[in-house]
Amino acid sequence: MPDPSCRPAFLLFIKPTRLKNRGINILMSDRIVEAYIGEYASGKSECAINRALELARQGRKVNLVDLDLVEPFYTLRPLQKELSQLGLEVIAWKTEETVGLGEAGTVIKPAARWALRRRGDVILDIGYGIEGARTLNLLEGANQDPDLKIFAVINISRPMTASVKDIVAEVSTMGHVDGLINNTHLAEETTAALVQAGARTVTTAADAIGLPVIATLAEEKLAEVIGPVDCMGNRVRPLKRFMPKAFW
Amino acid sequence: MTEAPVIEEKRVFMTGNEVVAWAALAAGADIMYGYPITPQNEVMHYWSRLAPRYGRNFLQTEDELSAGFATTGGVMAGSKAFTATAGSGSVLMQEPMAMAEMMRLPTVTVVQQRGGPSTATVIYSQQEVTLTTMGGNGEGIRVVYSTAGHQDLYDYTIKAFNIAWKYRFPTFVLGDGYQAKMREPLTIYDPERRGIKLLQPDPFVGGEGEPGRDRPPAQYRNTYNLEEELYEKIMSDMREFEENSADIAEYESRHTEDAELVIIAHGIVFRAVREAVDNLRRQSLSVGAFRPVTLRPLPGGQIKELAARVKKILVVESAYGQIARLVKEKVCGAACEIYSMFKPGIGIAAAEVEMRAKEILAKQ
Amino acid sequence: MQPVPAMPKSWRLDNKPHKFCPGCGHGLILKCLGKAIDELEIQSRVVYGCDIGCSLLSWDLFNLDAVQTHHGRTTPVMAGMKRARPELICIAYMGDGGGYSIGVQHLVGAAMRNEKITVIVANNTQYAMTGGQMAPTTLPGQKTETSPYGRDAETTGLPFRGAEMIAAIVPEGAYVARGSISHLTQLTRFLKKALKNQIDGHGFSFVEALSACPTNWRTDAARTWEFVEKDMAEHFKRGEIKIPGKKEAVTDA
Repeated sequence: MPDPSCRPAFLLFIKPTRLKNRGINILMSDRIVEAYIGEYASGKSECAINRALELARQGRKVNLVDLDLVEPFYTLRPLQKELSQLGLEVIAWKTEETVGLGEAGTVIKPAARWALRRRGDVILDIGYGIEGARTLNLLEGANQDPDLKIFAVINISRPMTASVKDIVAEVSTMGHVDGLINNTHLAEETTAALVQAGARTVTTAADAIGLPVIATLAEEKLAEVIGPVDCMGNRVRPLKRFMPKAFW
Repeated sequence: MTEAPVIEEKRVFMTGNEVVAWAALAAGADIMYGYPITPQNEVMHYWSRLAPRYGRNFLQTEDELSAGFATTGGVMAGSKAFTATAGSGSVLMQEPMAMAEMMRLPTVTVVQQRGGPSTATVIYSQQEVTLTTMGGNGEGIRVVYSTAGHQDLYDYTIKAFNIAWKYRFPTFVLGDGYQAKMREPLTIYDPERRGIKLLQPDPFVGGEGEPGRDRPPAQYRNTYNLEEELYEKIMSDMREFEENSADIAEYESRHTEDAELVIIAHGIVFRAVREAVDNLRRQSLSVGAFRPVTLRPLPGGQIKELAARVKKILVVESAYGQIARLVKEKVCGAACEIYSMFKPGIGIAAAEVEMRAKEILAKQ
Repeated sequence: MQPVPAMPKSWRLDNKPHKFCPGCGHGLILKCLGKAIDELEIQSRVVYGCDIGCSLLSWDLFNLDAVQTHHGRTTPVMAGMKRARPELICIAYMGDGGGYSIGVQHLVGAAMRNEKITVIVANNTQYAMTGGQMAPTTLPGQKTETSPYGRDAETTGLPFRGAEMIAAIVPEGAYVARGSISHLTQLTRFLKKALKNQIDGHGFSFVEALSACPTNWRTDAARTWEFVEKDMAEHFKRGEIKIPGKKEAVTDA
C-alpha cells in the first residue's frame, strides 16, 4: 500500500525559481530539506533534532531521518518515542525491529531510502564515517532534489577540526557542501567564550572555502548569554541536548 | 615530509576509540595491526586516518590471530606496535598474546569489551576480565589497565607502551563499548612535555652486524624440551612479575578510611559507584569505594588491607563474578562479609548501587 | 679426523649436526636456503621465522636472527615484522600443515596483499611432528595415522596444490615456484629468485619444496627417493608458476 505521506514523484521536478543577487532566495517550494554531515561526534544528530523541532514548532510537518550506517550507536533510535510526541515524524529503526544491533549496522531502513518523497520538510541525520556525504547517494532522488541543502557540522574542540586549516581540509573531503554549522562545545564544560572562539575559527574557514556559516549552536542557557547572533554575526540556534539519552 | 604530532595541551571532545588513536600517536606508536570488530573499529578508523600524516603505519590483517602475531613481529623488529580488539576477536587474540608472554614481547592491546559469550552484543560488558587478565594457556604474565573514561584511555594508553617496553610484559588497556563510543571532554597532551619520558624500543632482531661473525644471532623460541626447562623459565618470569607487581599496581580509593562497607568495582562501573558513594556519604552512611586500576597485577596488598579492616565488601560489575573472583582470592581468609551485584552485559547506574548498598548496610 | 661436510656459511656450526631425522628433507631445503642467502650476501639482513612442527627444529640452525612462532602463524609474524622494518629480509619457513591447513588464511592474506616476504613451505604429505597424520597434501590412497585405510579422495579431498592456489591469487610482482629435494640446484635457484624478489621489493615470494619424511613414511632410502621423485611428482609439478613480468627488469629506477 502506498504511503499516503509520499509526495507524487513529479513534484520533485518542479524547479524552484530563485531571485539571485538580491541577497534573498524566494523559493516557489517552501519545503526545507537539510542534511547534516560531519566528523564523528561533531554533533550532527543533536543539530538535526533541534532543527527539526524548531521547524515543527513553527507548525510545519517535519520528517527526521536517521541515516547512521556505520554503527548505530548514539542514533535517533532510542529517542523515537520522545521525538514523535514532540510532533516529529521520525524515520528510524525501532530497537525491537533490529537483530544484532551494531553488527548489522548497515541495514538501511527502506523508508529512509525514500524519505525525500515525503510530504513536508525533511531533516537528514547523516551518520558519521569517512563516506560522509556520499551516504546521500543512497537516498532516492537526492541528486535532483532542488531543495536539498547539505551542512557540515563543526566542533573546534575536536582535534581533527581544531584549526582553520584542519576544517578546510576536512570539508574538502566531504563532497558538495552548502554551508557550515559552528557546533563548538565541550559538553557540560562549554563556555560562551569557547562557542565564540568556535564562531571565529569556523567563520574564517567558511570564508576561505567560500561557504556561508548557517548558524552557531549553543545550549539554551549559553545561547541566552551569547544573544541572537555570535561575535561573527552568525545566527545563534539555541540547542536542547537530547543525545546523552540516546546511547545505543 | 611528515609533521610531528605536536599535541598541544588542551581540552577536547572525542569518542573513546578516537582517544585511543590519539594517545597511541602521542605515545610514539609506530604501527597498528588490526581487524574489524565492533566496538573497537574507530580505533582503526582514526589511526588509519592519522597514521600517514605522521609517518606511522597501519596494516589491516585477515583476522585477529594475524593482527596479534603481526604485532609481535612489529615489536620484535623494534617498533612500538599495537592492536585493538573485542569479544570473540579477543578470544583469538589470546594465541598471539600467549607467545608474547612466553617471549616477553612488549605488545600493547586495547580491548573494548562487548557482551558475551559468543557474538552476543556489540554494546558493552565487563565480561572479558578473566580472558584479558589470564589469557589462554599459561599464567597471565601480563599487565592489564582497566580504564574508567576518556582521560584514563588517554593516560593509560600512553602508559601501556612505557610499561610494556620497561618490563617486557604484554600490556592491555581494557575498555568497553561504552567508553569506546561515548563522548566526553578530556585533556590531551604531549607526554614528554609533561615530563613523561617515552621509552625507546630496542629491536629484538635485525641488529647491527652479521650474526655469527660480529655478534651472536638473536634467536627466540617458545618451544621447550623438558618439564624442568619450562619450569625454570616460568618461575623466573613469575618471580620477575611478582617482584614488580607492587610498582605496577594502581588503584583509586574513596572514603574507605572509616567505611563500614566498601564497594569494589573497576572500569566504567566505578563511575556509578563513585557517584553512589558520594550520595551515600551525603546521607551520612559510612560507605567507601575502591577501584583496582590494574586488574593484573591486582593491587592485592590494598585489597587485603581493606578486607582486614572493613565489615562488608560489595563487588559490583557488569559480569557474573569475574572481578569478584580476583578480589575474593585476595580477600580469602579475612572475616569481612562479601556481597555482590552482578549484571552481566548491562550498564549499572548509581541509583541501583545506592539501593544495594543500603540493603547491605541494613543487614545485621 | 672426521671430514666436515660442506655447510653454507650462514649455518651455525656450533650446534651441528642438526636436529632432524636422518633422511629428512628439511636439512636439504635449508641447505639450499643457506646457499641462496650466502650467494646473495644478505646474512646480516635476514630474519628467519619458523613454525611449529618439525620446522621448529631449525630455530637455531642458522647464524641468522630467528624467531620460532606458533603453528601456521609464522606468516603474519614475518609480515608484521617486514611492515615495521622494510629493510629486513623476512623469511617464513613452515610445513604443509602450517602453510596449507591451520595457517592457510594467513598465507592467503599475505599473498593477496603482496606482502614483501618470502614464504617457504616444505611439503612432506603429512603432519610429521605429531606422529604422521593426514594433511591437505596427503596423496590419494596414502596411509597415515588418521587415514589408516589410505586417503579417500571422496571424503577427504585431493592433494592440495598450494603453489597453484597462491599463483592464482597473487597480484603482479609476486614470485611462485615449486621445487624439490630431488633437484637441489633448481631448488636453490628458486629460493634465490624468491629472496631476490623480496630484496627488489616486487612483492610476495613463495616456494613450495617437495620434501621427504622417511620416519613417518616408514621408507628405506630407495623407496623414500621413489616417493618424492615419482609418487609426489605425479601430483605436484616442479617449476616456476609465477614470475614477475617486465617489472623485474626495472632496477635503479
